[in-house]
Amino acid sequence: VARRLSILCVALVALPGSLCAIELPVVAHTLPNGLRVLLHEDHSAPAISSYIFFRSGSRNERYGTTGIAHLFEHMMFNGGRKYGPGAFDDQIEGNGGSTNGYTSRDITAYLNNFPREALPLVLDLESDRMGHLALTPENLEQERGIVMEERRLRIDNQVTGVMHEALYLHAFVRSPYRWNTVGFMGDLKRITLADARAYFESSYAPNNAVLVLAGDLEPDATLALVRRYFGGLPRRPAPEPVDASEPPQEGERRVTVRKAAELPAVLIGWHGVRMLDPDRPVFDVMDRLLAGGDSARLDQDLVRAHEVATEVGADSGWGIDPELFTVYAQARPGKTAATLETRIDAVMTALAEERVSDDELRKAKNQLRADFIRSLKSVSGKANQLGYFEAAFGDYRGLFGLEAAWEAVSAEDVQRVARSHLVRAQRTVVVLEPLARGSAG
Amino acid sequence: VKVLTLLLALGGAALGADELSLPPVTRATLDNGLRVMVAEYRELPLIEFYLIVGAGAAQDPPGKEGLATLTAATLTRGAGERSATELARAIESLGGQLGASAGTDGTIVSGEFLAQDFPAGLDLLRAVLLDPRFERDEVRRARDEQLAGIVAALEEPSAIAEKCYAAFLYGAHPYGRPAEGRRDAVRRLGRGDVRAYYERWYRPNNTILVLVGDLTARDALIRLREAFGAWRAAPDAIPQRAAAPEPQRERRVLLVDKPDATQTQLRFGNIALARSHPDHLPATVANTILGGGFTSRLIEELRVKRSLTYAAWSMFAARLTGGDFRLGTFTKSPTTAETLALALEVEGDFRSRPPARPALDKAKAYLRGQFPLKLESPDALAARLADIEFQGLPADELTTYRHRVAALTPDDVARAAARHMPTPETVAIVVVGKAAELRPQLGDRFGPVETVQPEACEELAARD
Repeated sequence: VARRLSILCVALVALPGSLCAIELPVVAHTLPNGLRVLLHEDHSAPAISSYIFFRSGSRNERYGTTGIAHLFEHMMFNGGRKYGPGAFDDQIEGNGGSTNGYTSRDITAYLNNFPREALPLVLDLESDRMGHLALTPENLEQERGIVMEERRLRIDNQVTGVMHEALYLHAFVRSPYRWNTVGFMGDLKRITLADARAYFESSYAPNNAVLVLAGDLEPDATLALVRRYFGGLPRRPAPEPVDASEPPQEGERRVTVRKAAELPAVLIGWHGVRMLDPDRPVFDVMDRLLAGGDSARLDQDLVRAHEVATEVGADSGWGIDPELFTVYAQARPGKTAATLETRIDAVMTALAEERVSDDELRKAKNQLRADFIRSLKSVSGKANQLGYFEAAFGDYRGLFGLEAAWEAVSAEDVQRVARSHLVRAQRTVVVLEPLARGSAG
Repeated sequence: VKVLTLLLALGGAALGADELSLPPVTRATLDNGLRVMVAEYRELPLIEFYLIVGAGAAQDPPGKEGLATLTAATLTRGAGERSATELARAIESLGGQLGASAGTDGTIVSGEFLAQDFPAGLDLLRAVLLDPRFERDEVRRARDEQLAGIVAALEEPSAIAEKCYAAFLYGAHPYGRPAEGRRDAVRRLGRGDVRAYYERWYRPNNTILVLVGDLTARDALIRLREAFGAWRAAPDAIPQRAAAPEPQRERRVLLVDKPDATQTQLRFGNIALARSHPDHLPATVANTILGGGFTSRLIEELRVKRSLTYAAWSMFAARLTGGDFRLGTFTKSPTTAETLALALEVEGDFRSRPPARPALDKAKAYLRGQFPLKLESPDALAARLADIEFQGLPADELTTYRHRVAALTPDDVARAAARHMPTPETVAIVVVGKAAELRPQLGDRFGPVETVQPEACEELAARD
């Protein structure tokens, strides 16, 4: 039996040599109730990965109830109408599957990786909680305490967590991107069952969701199963659109975090562009030019040439709304945050002032392409990427356009975008001033 | 050259429900003793190299703790005609990755390249393994970064907890020593030390090389032989392994002070079993019921019923000559003693009575169902194949796994739990948090308490 290819290689004129752009064959369908369904066949293991994305994350929250999208993600595991408290995890694991969820600023995702035989059960479980989640006081109170513990873990007792929270709170003034997905402790304490009900009503409708199934499946039979389990869920009014527009930043913002820590550190964020902006791939290229390994610019300057940093990093955020482009550096023992900043400034100035060489640009693009291929190693990775692009950016095929978009970035683009966006007046600088352990904050 | 091709799995139709279809593995031992395994993987245009050099921090000479880590870090900082920066640029220009890191028993050298770059990737790997430069300035840089990394890790409560737990439980045994070493020892390491460690241990007769990727096994083997055939064996390259660690008998507590913490990290456990112990599989099944997955007893009692924590887990850290059972969780400072007492009770209760049948069935289904997913990525498969060889496990370990899990009886699992999970009265407990608040909470309820600063844990590993 000839095996159907689960990855297609599509000739791409813009790529050098015999390279081709990767595409995943997808059967896409929208049910009458608005549920978007993506199916991808891959028979390399007798397993299936399911993802349900809701087009709702902390971006859809309001002051006073920050953290509700993530708190809600927790509540989704605590029972529907047919399956009671605890049954979801029990059924999944008892049938050889694993389950999890995650929440970002833009979306909330629920995933299961399971043996193919469990597909009808998984669809039944997912449909039960999408349609009929049990919103009880017990469910809310249980998860409230757990999520507060998660916040203590990820933010309050984590130096970089505190720095990231401070950066977004100061870089954004009006956009809901400003608060962390886990929410403020005060809001976590006061979210009510009525808030949870309202959030469920507005966000967890089939027409606000994308279901992805990837793995050892047959598309026609699978689609029939999906119709059976999800076709009866009613369409509901779409959530209110989010206006995340920001007033222009008129100058540099500086924040000091004083916290018990061993080493000083600096985190800088510049306002970038939204995912669908034609200039966004340029930010990905700049991320690799700056921090794509030991030969990249920040490593070469801060770690190697000047020996002032233990660790450097850069991140070009992908968002429905304009995200931040961030650079991070942690000082060596005996070095200061001011020294880190001086060196970062020099590196950023060079990026804007001097044309990047063809070899260096090629290196960045090759890294992006290889990382993209790496993200497709598992059926879960593929389902995640497909669903994320469909839910957050409107079309899963955006994933297949990444390679060509990176390839099209020129040295002039890098210089132009660095000059227009990575400028002092557009940045927010978070400086960590370490306090000795035991001194008062 | 002896070449032996083992078909680890048969093709589609003949498969029973519990067998697993895996790519065939071609095995060879080169004349210099290098053990090679090659598996074809055709899903993505990738090549994975995964090597285990059979020496690690356990082979650090006394007073030179951290040397295996420093040697691994310097290995990829210049090789052949390439300086450190030239080498990094060559790897990264291909979108590739190549790195090395030392554990206690072995050192892992791994690389990933696009399939089209197989020859170039192999050339880079060969240079790094056979012809590292170890320039004085690069050794100094790697040493300074290692020292800075030791300081930076003192900011991470969970990293502190892991390091302190190993040191507190194992003491001077190699499994208690952090691979990155003690600061006073690392500071004194130099080029001569690194070169000596490399010359002694980085030998083909002490190395396993696994290649998984989008290539033909036959061709790949020819290339590997060309690349590594000239690597010289040395008779004294196979280390004498450390003796099995001894369990501790009396419960005791290490309180690690983090005065700024609002959350306490907890770990406890005792010496358990080596990876090659025949009980490893039933012990793993038992552990899945107690502290694996999302429906474990620990999650149920600590998280679901009481919201004391976000996560709770247990595991057997099973290694070459021994290992330990450990349990971990965290909670807000005021509920530290309550959480610790409950975790001890749940663990003690679990090991002393046979697991309920539904819980056992669920754990078995979970392990069997998840197993194919643990091997679907080419890098994961390469790592697993190398580890099986390194631990001396049977070559059919992977293909028979699901069958062996299915065949375990409730008695097998209960016996393994009772034998290898510690009685709560004997465990080593590590508590990382705000000591001023925790000391009165703990009192002497859990045993004698020793209070230390986070940086002192590296010294615990040096004492007997």
